[in-house]
Amino acid sequence: MGADVGDDAGRDDAGRDGTGAAAPLVCTEITKIFGEDLGAAEALLAEGASRQDVQERTGCLVAVRDVTFSVERGEIFVVMGLSGSGKSTLIRCLSRLIEPTSGTVEIDGTPIGDLDDEGLRELRRSRLSMVFQHFGLFPHRKVIDNVAFGLEIQGAAKADRYRRALQVLEVVGLQDWIDHFPQQLSGGMQQRVGLARALCVEPEILFFDEPFSALDPLIRRDMQDELLSLQAGMRRTLVFITHDFHEALKLGDRIAIMKDGEFVQVGTPEQIVSAPADEYVREFTEDAPKTKVITVGSVMRPVDGETPAGEPVSLTAVLDDVLPQLLASPEALCVADDQGEVVGTVDRDRVAALLGEGSRAGAAPGDGPLEPR
Amino acid sequence: MTTAAPPAGPPPAASTIEARLALDRQRRLRSGGGLAIGAAVLVAVQIALSSLGGFPESLVIPLSDWIDDARRWVIDNQTSHWSFSFFFNPVSDSIDWGLRAVEGFLLWLPWYVVAGATAMIATAVLRLRAGLLAAVGVLYFGAIGLWEESLQTVALMTVAVAIAVAIGVPVGIASARYDRLQQSLRPLLDAMQTLPAFVYLIPVVLLFGVARVPAIIATVVYALPPVIRLTSLGIRAVPAVTVEAAEMFGATPRQTLRKVQFPLAMPSVLTGINQTIMMALSIVVIAALIGAGGLGQVVLVSLRGLFVGRALEAGLAIVVLAVIMDRVTHGAAGIGGRRRLRLMPDALAHVGPVRSVEGTLSAVDRLLLRAGSLLAEPLSRKLDMAAVERHPRKVLGAALLAVGTVIGAAIGRSDFPAGISFSFAPAIDWLVDWVRDNLYEIGGTWVGTGWFSDSITIYAVTPLRELFSAELAWPVVVLAVALAGWRLGGVPLAAFCTACAAGLGFLGMWELSMDTLAQVIVAVAMAILCGIPLGVLAARNDRFERMLKPVLDFLQTIPSFVLLVPVIIMFNVGRIPGIIASVLYALPAATRLTNLGIRQVEGEATEASRAFGATRGQTLRKVQLPLAAPSIIAGINQTVMLVLAMVVIAGLVGGGGLGLETVKGLRRTDSVGSGFVAGLAIVLLAMLLDRLLQAWTRRFTPVESGP
Ligand SMILES: Nc1ncnc2c1ncn2[C@@H]1O[C@H](COP(=O)(O)OP(=O)(O)OP(=O)(O)O)[C@@H](O)[C@H]1O
Ligand SMILES: [Mg+2]
Repeated sequence: MGADVGDDAGRDDAGRDGTGAAAPLVCTEITKIFGEDLGAAEALLAEGASRQDVQERTGCLVAVRDVTFSVERGEIFVVMGLSGSGKSTLIRCLSRLIEPTSGTVEIDGTPIGDLDDEGLRELRRSRLSMVFQHFGLFPHRKVIDNVAFGLEIQGAAKADRYRRALQVLEVVGLQDWIDHFPQQLSGGMQQRVGLARALCVEPEILFFDEPFSALDPLIRRDMQDELLSLQAGMRRTLVFITHDFHEALKLGDRIAIMKDGEFVQVGTPEQIVSAPADEYVREFTEDAPKTKVITVGSVMRPVDGETPAGEPVSLTAVLDDVLPQLLASPEALCVADDQGEVVGTVDRDRVAALLGEGSRAGAAPGDGPLEPR
Repeated sequence: MTTAAPPAGPPPAASTIEARLALDRQRRLRSGGGLAIGAAVLVAVQIALSSLGGFPESLVIPLSDWIDDARRWVIDNQTSHWSFSFFFNPVSDSIDWGLRAVEGFLLWLPWYVVAGATAMIATAVLRLRAGLLAAVGVLYFGAIGLWEESLQTVALMTVAVAIAVAIGVPVGIASARYDRLQQSLRPLLDAMQTLPAFVYLIPVVLLFGVARVPAIIATVVYALPPVIRLTSLGIRAVPAVTVEAAEMFGATPRQTLRKVQFPLAMPSVLTGINQTIMMALSIVVIAALIGAGGLGQVVLVSLRGLFVGRALEAGLAIVVLAVIMDRVTHGAAGIGGRRRLRLMPDALAHVGPVRSVEGTLSAVDRLLLRAGSLLAEPLSRKLDMAAVERHPRKVLGAALLAVGTVIGAAIGRSDFPAGISFSFAPAIDWLVDWVRDNLYEIGGTWVGTGWFSDSITIYAVTPLRELFSAELAWPVVVLAVALAGWRLGGVPLAAFCTACAAGLGFLGMWELSMDTLAQVIVAVAMAILCGIPLGVLAARNDRFERMLKPVLDFLQTIPSFVLLVPVIIMFNVGRIPGIIASVLYALPAATRLTNLGIRQVEGEATEASRAFGATRGQTLRKVQLPLAAPSIIAGINQTVMLVLAMVVIAGLVGGGGLGLETVKGLRRTDSVGSGFVAGLAIVLLAMLLDRLLQAWTRRFTPVESGP
């Protein structure tokens, strides 16, 4: 089942953490059920009942079910899924804006479920921040006071917080709008205010609930680039929800695909694109720019004996980079790893087969020659 | 129906239609039958019990004697019992102290400072025209020789509203936070808003006696519900994400309230305060019954002596006060009030002379602004408050007022100058005489106000009262009410209605209650017959709606008692002016809600009906009125409650019934008991009518919608 794939992937990645330090954000088996008769619903879930079953028999809605994952420092973890698949509910559980029905969230090793009100407030003040899907701006405060709100709560002096707020507003390009009220701004501008407000407190962990959904394509690209460059400097821990697969591919170190409250698949963009776990995931990847994601390494044929001559291409290059060479050469190209040692070959036929894959309906994942390493 | 087997019989569709029609017939028969059976039962009971008539003395509970005993106990123990020395007396003393302080201060201020301050406030929150009008209004208080009384009323209002806000806002905040509290408060607030102001007076008098403090307490109790309700509503209306966002930054509940929820709820809170002020003003006259003094006292005393002109002068002062307070608080409730230097209506803005006048005005304003800035700059540096610098106008205004006050104090003359005075009372008194002499029977014919009030009395009020109180056996009336309750709300409502109706008898108030009820029914019928057609007309004709709006606004701003005065001019004292005043008082509700209901019917529904070729009349009958029914019935509901409130008040000017009995209790200490019982009967009657009407309204609104 899809859930298994998700679980495996989650554990794999948790294991990948070779440094020994705990990941800043670890979530274990989070479940959130909305409704009255939670006990009965949980019992049904434990028996393995489906979401529909639970809904019909208890009237409860299972918004998030058994979600496990962890996010490393400096990593952007993207969650994707259709409307109503439980993304916003999940991200709210991470900061206990919603109390999860079961499961634990650990931030830097502390289970936040154990914190009392004051502890939770302290955590939110100092470490967390969130951009809301529907902005959640304060309509009675000017833009600058919205952005400075977090520092105000922390007790910062007015001059300090304004200085900082102005810096962040410049980053999002709203420095000329500080004295306006949110309603006087367009949807996209309001969203950037929400973004600035979250960044202003310089949190270690950031939760983004579709932060760019209302932006036009140009500003959206700017914001994405801005986010990536901020991230390169600061190495924060990010959970990022989006509907846009291109955005997920561009930003995500790992992507989780969510369906009916469960993770169907978790993996790097390349893993998701080259080996979708099921039809649902495949549909997301359908018109993804595969050549921008899939690396030479995952399509090459390992060396067997002689190697073709010519300039080798890098193992980690994405296909897009090598396409000109590939098209120009009738022969297979040789592939070299970081040390320059030739490890395999890649030819036009293999790439063509991969690109055709998407349109070939019904192809089972992983049964071709294109299985990732 | 048809016995034929499906394959050979008529097509299935036809048979279902047959079945449908038959079912329809049956249903109609059953409901008609139900009514007929109910009527038959009533008639039968009436015939069987025809000798019974009104409620028998022997069944009456001597509640009024008990109340009198309690009153005596209170008087005896006022100085000794702990509850007085530790609670009631300190409360009473501190309110009295506050009132004296405010009143003393207002009367100490020179009159021109009071007028100037009012004008400045009105200009600041509204516009210059409003400011000037407000100043004229304040001068009117002095000109009619009621300066002191007006400021007394203002002081009383200020203290009462301050207390109401000090209690209401925290309670509202708490009830926004705790669902449990909200749920337990709601029926209480509902009941408080249903009851006529009258009934608050007697319990207060029982505990505190007759004086200004009890008047304030009664006012506070009466005016409290809107602040609580609207504070809670405003806080609850703040979107969840907004609160979440604050929490996400680690704001404490207190910070969230102070920095996010309360500021966002502010417009709603201010609307609540506005309504509280208006309610407080609306019982100024009634509160005078228990010693509030001020303008209300003048109205009361004048009316008792039939000095209608003087009553109207004082009544108009109350209206002026109400309008100023209403407009100013409204303006303050609107965020970022517009400041405009328009004196003339906007439509005239382009006329040459108007433009030049207003040009001069804005030049003057710029000058004032400069002066203000000059003052504000050094001040803000000295006080280290940047905020001061941003409001040069306010600084200038405050400075002017301060200078005025100092001058006034120096020359020791703050009274309103006797030189400025005018009075239109004689004209009004002359008008009253003229009306009596000339309109009673116009030109010696039978047409006239005399005929009008006589026919209402002879053909409607008296027969109804006789019917209810004497001709019908009392169990028939109770049974009729119970049946109505059962039909509208099942057994629980039937039980409630029976208890209320029978309670009227057990209290010994049967006859008076039936008198009041008869007046209410007549007035409601008249209000509906006028109000609903007016509403329909207004809904269909924008121009008419615009013309009607200020009239309705005006009728709704006038405190109920003041409305009686002009009616008395026309119809003299008695039952009829009370009924007419009730009709006028309740008319806006019926008209407004009919208009609103019809206008809210979606454009598409109306268009669809027209697209099928329906005439305007058909569209109105088949689409708009049915869809507007919930709103119209809500209007009728309000109409009944407003009429009841007014009919009770009209007891003071010859309306008789429960109202008069209550007032007697207030006037004479020896009949406090029966006054209290009459007040209780009003409560029963109000709750009975309200529940029945609520149930009726609910039948038309299947989905419960919030207020
Ligand atoms: N407070 C709530 N009470 C009851 N049900 C809720 C609540 N919040 C969310 N749900 C339900 O949980 C499910 C998941 O909602 P959620 O908002 O997490 O979806 P989403 O994935 O964020 O969708 P979208 O992409 O449209 O934002 C939905 O079916 C929704 O109806
Ligand atoms: Mg969402």
